[in-house]
Amino acid sequence: VSIICSSPQNYPLYIRSVPTENELKFHYTVHTSLDVVDEKISAMGKALVDQRELYLGLLYPTEDYKVYGYVTNSKVKFVMVVDSSNTALRDNEIRSMFRKLHNSYTDIMCNPFYNPGDRIHSRAFDTMVNSMMMQVC
Amino acid sequence: MSRPPGRKETHKISRELFVLTYGALVAQLCKDYEKDEDVNTCLDRMGYGIGIRLIDDFLARSAVKRCRSYSETADMIAQVAFKMYLGVTPTVSCNSAAGNEFSLILDKNPLVEFVEELPAERASLCYCNLLCGVIRGALEMVRLAAEVTFLQDKLKGDAVTEIGITFLRKAEDRKHKR
Repeated sequence: VSIICSSPQNYPLYIRSVPTENELKFHYTVHTSLDVVDEKISAMGKALVDQRELYLGLLYPTEDYKVYGYVTNSKVKFVMVVDSSNTALRDNEIRSMFRKLHNSYTDIMCNPFYNPGDRIHSRAFDTMVNSMMMQVC
Repeated sequence: MSRPPGRKETHKISRELFVLTYGALVAQLCKDYEKDEDVNTCLDRMGYGIGIRLIDDFLARSAVKRCRSYSETADMIAQVAFKMYLGVTPTVSCNSAAGNEFSLILDKNPLVEFVEELPAERASLCYCNLLCGVIRGALEMVRLAAEVTFLQDKLKGDAVTEIGITFLRKAEDRKHKR
């Protein structure tokens, strides 16, 4: 499973994968999924942006993984890649995980020493992501 | 002229706005000055300017009686002033036998709510040094000279945040001028 947070300019602010082999493959999958995210954002157009629209849902399933996306109002994108074999994960759980990610991200933004666009080096964020990944694996 | 004590607080602003404003202030000072000591001094000076003005507002709003001793003063700062302006009540402990050194121990410091830890290059920054200046300025306007510093700081890894107040001159000395 892998979690990526990427900036409005589409470079990564935070990348985390468990297990760590095949990490490059995860990065590649996530990078291609950013295209799908952009497509969905532009397709929304003038639609009302509320909490439900922030969650983009299953972006595309490949034979091995499922990719889920979430975009904030400031166009910061969160992408999560999980194993297809993990069928126990329901939509609600994914939504709540993205909500937790979003909350931790806003806490980081409030830190006066964090400049938007920097890579994320926060311990609290790491702990939260670790605990989420433990849940999933 | 004193403000009516029962006046309803209709001018509240959001706590997040205040905390973020203070954070932006510290971040900007860090960009302006390279050395941590300069930032600390600047924060202390700003706090001093706030303190000498805030004391009148405090005395008018709280209508407290004159304090008879240093420990009463420290209690007043902790229980009334901090409660009124920051919404937290630190615990007071006396540090010296002479009765002129006190510590205010803060469990929760609202100013550092969003700051997880100090950036690596700013390890000796006293993030809340403004508070020390405020206390120092306020005490000076009521004729009590004091030194106020941070003894422990949660942002630097200590368990609690501790502000030390050392009163420098006995208030009674004024009567014994030669």
